[in-house]
Amino acid sequence: MSVPVTQIRRRLSAGATLASGAMVIFSMLAPLDAQALPLFARQTGQNCVSCHAGGQFPELTPYGRMFKLTGYTIGQRVAVPISAMGQITYAKVKDTGKSDDPQADFQKNGSPMFSAGSVFFGGKITDNIGAFAQWTYDNYAGQRVGDSGNNDGKWQGKPSADNIDIRYADRFIDANRDLIVGLSLNNHPSVVDPWNTAAAWMQYVPAASVSSHNYTDAHTPFPSDTTGSNVAGINAYAYLNKMIYAELGFYQTANKGFSFMSAGYNDTNTTKLKGINNPYWRLALTHEWGAHNLMVGATGMVAHIYDDNVDTSDPNSIHRVANTGIDAQYQYILDPHTVTAQVAYMRQKTNYSANTIANNTGIGSPSGFVAADGVTPLSDANDSDTTNTFRAKLSYVYQAKYGGSLAFFNLTGTTNTANQNSGYDPVTGTITSTDPLGLGSILSTRVGGNLSGNPATRGFTYEAFWMPVQYVRVGAQYTAYNKFNGASDNYDGLGRNARDNNTLFLYVWGAY
Amino acid sequence: MKKTLLPLLAGLAVIGSGCSNLERSRDLANPSVPPAVTAVQVCSICHGIDGNSVSPNFPRLAGQQAAYLVAQLQHFRSHERSDPPGFVYMWGISHHLTDDQIKGLAEYFAKQVPKPNAPVDAQQMAAGKEIYDKGVPEQNVIACGACHGPKAQGIEVFPRLAYQHADYIVKQLDIFQNTQGRPGTPMEAITHPLTGENKEAVAAYLQAFPD
Repeated sequence: MSVPVTQIRRRLSAGATLASGAMVIFSMLAPLDAQALPLFARQTGQNCVSCHAGGQFPELTPYGRMFKLTGYTIGQRVAVPISAMGQITYAKVKDTGKSDDPQADFQKNGSPMFSAGSVFFGGKITDNIGAFAQWTYDNYAGQRVGDSGNNDGKWQGKPSADNIDIRYADRFIDANRDLIVGLSLNNHPSVVDPWNTAAAWMQYVPAASVSSHNYTDAHTPFPSDTTGSNVAGINAYAYLNKMIYAELGFYQTANKGFSFMSAGYNDTNTTKLKGINNPYWRLALTHEWGAHNLMVGATGMVAHIYDDNVDTSDPNSIHRVANTGIDAQYQYILDPHTVTAQVAYMRQKTNYSANTIANNTGIGSPSGFVAADGVTPLSDANDSDTTNTFRAKLSYVYQAKYGGSLAFFNLTGTTNTANQNSGYDPVTGTITSTDPLGLGSILSTRVGGNLSGNPATRGFTYEAFWMPVQYVRVGAQYTAYNKFNGASDNYDGLGRNARDNNTLFLYVWGAY
Repeated sequence: MKKTLLPLLAGLAVIGSGCSNLERSRDLANPSVPPAVTAVQVCSICHGIDGNSVSPNFPRLAGQQAAYLVAQLQHFRSHERSDPPGFVYMWGISHHLTDDQIKGLAEYFAKQVPKPNAPVDAQQMAAGKEIYDKGVPEQNVIACGACHGPKAQGIEVFPRLAYQHADYIVKQLDIFQNTQGRPGTPMEAITHPLTGENKEAVAAYLQAFPD
């Protein structure tokens, strides 16, 4: 990055944001120029709906999946292999009253904002090599606090590597056999996957990182791996006779020559994996009949992760996370209708590090909270935890213009007193988020608090969207919770209910 | 990231620029790629390697008249044909194809063997056969078979219709009837009096086309 972050930081006032959003839409509506399309469309000369089901990027059609599996090599190399996308978002949380500091707990609540933009590089490089590399600028990555004396709380943007997938692929096809084989160098387990129930792809409308957006669909439970898009992996895959897909990859820390895979992440935020024995696998069976297609699959990963991202010296500070998932996706695509049904389930077992376990015995909860009597210590923290994430989504798009979806999410898991960030303070015997007398109380967390130590979160997201032109989507989502952080009512111990987090989320999403 | 990623991608491009893989290329702008390679590497994704597409979004090409396929690819390339499936997929695919490649692709699909489909609705089939063989005299619709042949096998620029997806036929009839998406054929006038029922019936008959 030769240009300082502060120079390219753009923050627009609410009015200007809306105005510019409208201008973007109208300028895009005006010239319906078939050439004015994002990178892959320029490469293939095809319309977005060829590859994206009903135009609802990033969900892929059968043709889009083949485009990806053959390494983004269909079409012709374009002279300037770059495209961009940007988002204007608005989130309104239902009840911001039960908070000591609504300004902090619900930043930008009810304010439209230019939240993020991405640049994509890549496309076809040779007959066998292609790339998809996304670099995202989060306009609200953080607030300026204490660095170089600029403690003014101003928002700061930050660019970072997002999804990177550089491939070599070949296709051996004749009347008796159709075999696609490939290798991918990538930074995110499951980013290689061409189906949209994969962890990297099921959540598809990004939301800003400000706290008012914490309860939008993007932050509800999705099946996921724990590493995020900042590690380095090499995956080999094969797809035989459009029937069986298999993939195996190994991941390591994105350091040294792979450091571009985690560009923009500082050391503190970069996942540190032990060695390369962090396998990811995927199996899927697929079938097409008429306008229908179906995928049923399974996936998994085992990751050995250092507890502390900046200290990898202690072999006892490694925890092990094992993910196992099953998923299925059904599509019916026949102009003007696109129907998609998706289900995904993932079990995640975390075995904590030897260091963590050694500290777990006989001390009660590491949080320091006590039972409701104000005296009895809570039970010791767990040596391992398990979560189960289930997600289902049904969507319909008409004429690749008008669409809607209904999604259900349900996260369950083991209760662990270490996960409590709310509880009874042993000093006052109460649940308190403040300590006005300076008694040394252990403070509970309002709004984001978890009194039960259980992660259970459940609810629905309803969405309606409109695509006035193929590379602009305007959408509204409403996410309604009936459980959050383990409870329906009073989940933070300070009176906040799951339904208080219900959120209306609006977005304008454009790509060029 | 740009510091490493961009040189890496540029390096791959330079290294790879000398090594095109003509036997298994998916490049649509290289005149050296043999049409049979493009047919299996790219066209087959939607139309099937033997031209018997699975999804009705994409027409069956197996056994299609080569002259018709040449004309359509040329019309996609020149944008004369602008019905939605045409411009969504085929404008891009055909953009840089040479005349020789177009001819080769047409020959590839013309020699494939069309696969029959199971009949659906007997009553609709009978009505469709009536229209195909005799037209709709009271509406001045001529028999389809007059141009497309008694076996619906087509001749020259008149396409083969037997075993074609019914949904595709209905949509194309709609395009002829209601739009200028496929100009320069007699179909605009011929389809003018057709009712929705007529179109559904003849399409169902053609999809199955029992002997």
